[in-house]
Amino acid sequence: MDLVTMREKLDKKEISAVELTQSYLDKIKEKDKELNSYITVCEDAAIEQAKAAQEMIDSGNAGAFTGLPISVKDNICTNGVKTTCASKMLADFVPIYDATVMEKLNKEKIVMLGKTNMDEFAMGGSSQTSYFGGVKNPYDTSRVTGGSSGGAAASVAAGLCAAALGSDTGGSVRQPASFCGVTGLKPTYGAVSRWGLIAFASSLDQIGVLANSAADTGYMLNGIYGRDFNDATSSAKSKGDYTRLAGTDISKLKIGIPKEFFDGVTDEVKTAVLKAADYYKALGCELVECSLPSLEYAVSAYYLISSAEAASNLSRFDGIKYGYRSGLGEDFNDLIKASRREGFGDEVKRRIMLGNYALCSGYYDAYYKNATRIRTQIRKEYADIFEKCNVILTPTAPTTAYKIGEQEHDPVKMYLADICTVTVNIAGLPAISTTCGYGENGMPIGMSLTGRAFDEQTIIAVCDRFERDFDRKEARI
Amino acid sequence: MRYQPVIGLEIHAELLTDSKVFCTCQNEFGGSENTRVCPRCSGMPGTLPLLNQNAVKLAARAGIATDCTVNKYSAFDRKNYFYPDLPKAYQITQFESPICTNGHITVVGGKDIRINRIHIEEDAGKLVHDDYEGVSLADYNRCGVPLIEIVTEPDFRTIEEVQDFMEQIALRLKYAGVCDARMEQGSLRVDVNISIMPVGSDVFGTRAEIKNLNSVKAIGRAIAYEIERQSEILDNGGTVVQETRRFNDNHGNTKALRSKEEAHDYRYFPEPDIPPVLFTDEELEEIVNSMPEMPQKRFARYTKAYGLPSDDASLIISNKDFSDFYDETVKINPDYKQVSNLMLGELLRNLNDSGAAVTDLKFAPSDLAKLVEMSSGSTVSKNAAKDILKIMFDNGGKPEEIAKENGFIMDNDASGLEAVIDKVIVDNADSVESYKSGNAKVFGFIMGQAMRLAGKGANPKLIKDLLTEKLK
Amino acid sequence: MFNTELTRHLAELSKLEFTDAELDKMTNDMTNIIAVMDKVCGFDTSKKPYALDAVDYKDLRRDEHGESYPTEKILENADIKRGATFVVPKVV
Repeated sequence: MDLVTMREKLDKKEISAVELTQSYLDKIKEKDKELNSYITVCEDAAIEQAKAAQEMIDSGNAGAFTGLPISVKDNICTNGVKTTCASKMLADFVPIYDATVMEKLNKEKIVMLGKTNMDEFAMGGSSQTSYFGGVKNPYDTSRVTGGSSGGAAASVAAGLCAAALGSDTGGSVRQPASFCGVTGLKPTYGAVSRWGLIAFASSLDQIGVLANSAADTGYMLNGIYGRDFNDATSSAKSKGDYTRLAGTDISKLKIGIPKEFFDGVTDEVKTAVLKAADYYKALGCELVECSLPSLEYAVSAYYLISSAEAASNLSRFDGIKYGYRSGLGEDFNDLIKASRREGFGDEVKRRIMLGNYALCSGYYDAYYKNATRIRTQIRKEYADIFEKCNVILTPTAPTTAYKIGEQEHDPVKMYLADICTVTVNIAGLPAISTTCGYGENGMPIGMSLTGRAFDEQTIIAVCDRFERDFDRKEARI
Repeated sequence: MRYQPVIGLEIHAELLTDSKVFCTCQNEFGGSENTRVCPRCSGMPGTLPLLNQNAVKLAARAGIATDCTVNKYSAFDRKNYFYPDLPKAYQITQFESPICTNGHITVVGGKDIRINRIHIEEDAGKLVHDDYEGVSLADYNRCGVPLIEIVTEPDFRTIEEVQDFMEQIALRLKYAGVCDARMEQGSLRVDVNISIMPVGSDVFGTRAEIKNLNSVKAIGRAIAYEIERQSEILDNGGTVVQETRRFNDNHGNTKALRSKEEAHDYRYFPEPDIPPVLFTDEELEEIVNSMPEMPQKRFARYTKAYGLPSDDASLIISNKDFSDFYDETVKINPDYKQVSNLMLGELLRNLNDSGAAVTDLKFAPSDLAKLVEMSSGSTVSKNAAKDILKIMFDNGGKPEEIAKENGFIMDNDASGLEAVIDKVIVDNADSVESYKSGNAKVFGFIMGQAMRLAGKGANPKLIKDLLTEKLK
Repeated sequence: MFNTELTRHLAELSKLEFTDAELDKMTNDMTNIIAVMDKVCGFDTSKKPYALDAVDYKDLRRDEHGESYPTEKILENADIKRGATFVVPKVV
């Protein structure tokens, strides 16, 4: 059921908010043992929220989000509800404030079903590095969901929520959306406040939406975008209303196809995405061959910048103010080391080590600084493309979802698999991923549409048009 | 061997803002532990800094007060290190693009001390050490208190230069409204970098950094001790180690703080949560125009244009409110010397005795101007002026009315005085005799008797003239 | 070139610690990762490093203090506290 229909049913009282919430909670109970998409399910609180929502509906004060049951990624702070970042470090951490996105949605009495599983501290593309166990793909539970918002993607794909909030630093909304056959929107950097999003890489992180359709992601974005006093990097440039997209004429648009993005992907991915391009061509869109020459530097630049920021952002976890505190350690130095050693998983440790390598004396200029030069260059190359195109079409990931255990233990292989998504974060642009086909293994193939900064309307509309004519398969679970 | 010290300073000044630099907690000294703390300044996950406009403005004012260039573009960086008083494990500071650069202050002997830079940063919290249980207790009230760091070039060669610089900078920061400069409370803190080299050499030695200096006097003692200590090392063929040392005010010595396992690598990089700040020309101009006259300019005006002795001028400018009061007064009555005398004498004594501040005064500069006019224009005597000022200080009021009510108005009519003086001459025949036989010293005594008899309103000049005449 | 000594140095900067076996594994991982990262080393240094767009001074936060959080809230997630403070083992 799409969100507009759900809204109508609630408003017309064809269904009560409590019934709706209960139906999702029942489904979570039934299916999530296997999927492990939720870290925390807020059974009682969700019912309470649904009751409050129903009161609001009954009194005629319902807003767009009143009573909609959603899931929230477990790196978004929720006042009084455990927010773990899927880490032992924060396994018992209970925030004392709400993220801005939650504050906005709570005002309209949205229902939070629970907090979704992810890669530890959002560092990963498999959702297998969670301290609470990996997430399984609802299309095939022997396969990964992608990540890091794997729990969010699985919760949407399996129908365990109406929509999900995730976060995207290098593809963490789009790639799991692609692997799990749902739609994932990563808004422009600054479009959505980061206040309350536990930072991984501050200059790249952005809260995004995973949902059943492009229209639903737009519906959700409407409730969370906007300049926020609490986040100095948030912007007032968003134009707003991402819900009136149906029927938008996209036939005059120019769609850029940057050739470098198709080099390292599997044939079936390439074929599926190019077939989508043909679909647009048939609608009247002009396909424009274009180039992002610096793509070859993108993965390295991305990992250096994101890890450097992560090393700094994660330094605050010392076991003293919050988070896991080791019983070992006679002095301050020993205590921090023991707490961090026991509290962080391997991938997080690798990123911290890499980040400090990029920043430390003697290496800073060659690594960190050069990476930021590449960042400037990539932004420029995107600007050049957008001189000639309205949107850019690329694959979301080089492959479909792989088998659990297949490659997530090889960091280099994992990093290189981010090639299709990281440039969008480096350039701060909006992008949306949707299913455009299925692989031989039956798993969804994702394509991404990237837009100009603060022009989410166009990519949502272009994505929505495709989805209307595409026959998406239901997840098997 | 004789050695030449080479000294540079790093000065931290707490800014007089209402709120902290990156959050809205109150910026105030002291208070119960962890009562002025929020998720932001305690470094909770998911929080972001929010730069305080006034902190930027005050840092710019500090730059203008020290003849720095205020840069239109300045940016923030993270300085990464682990210490339990720093909850985020990084300090937000300005590294690559500080707000102010290239200033200077002229010190004793007319020498220019160059200021390399002034940048904005955040203060850390406080740790209380419990030696008995071997733990430290962390209080974050001070976390996020706005600071500027002023970094000088190693241009100092004597203790006097350093002390003069510190006194001047404290005064300028106070004038500019940047910092209350209370060294004893820690709102102004200084680290001294000092090395020595043989006299005549121009190769700097290895420096030590001295911390925990909470008065200008302590700075002098610490430097003197360090010169001695380092000289002794070099004289004995040793080498000075680069280290941080702590000054102990009770013992008058410095002790090395235990050196860290490895050299610091702060891994500075641009703060991704704070966009760089841009001033327009108009905004900078507005800040420049809002600056008060700086103390060194006032000093020059007082001594050169007003002809005040430099000690008096120094004393007046040492308190901005006092100096402002002086300026307001002489604007109305440009009797520079008399206003200065009355303020530095009677007014300052009353202020010191009562502990009151200039801003608490119950009378206005115009009242003081009037009082000086009355006293120099023979409306009241100099002594009466002091009495009147005391009454104004205690109760307020207009000097004319006080003089009238208390009979301080001088009687400038000589006719009544003659009888008084005749009576004094008769009553003090012995003294009069003594005076006439050449003992000039008794004149004062006879004069005093005459003043007493003549009463409060008497004009001393008239009495003196008349008395001199009669005693001839 | 990456070696165990550099791994140790980075571990110290990162406030992490490893057993000998972990250290070897980390050194190996880092060697492979840095080989990918080396791609950036030869990049054109005449290009400008990226920086956030500047904001104008007039748009910065006004200096007005607000309420702080209750002390017990601030301490709520701390494992060990005493009175109104966080307890830290002695800093050596």
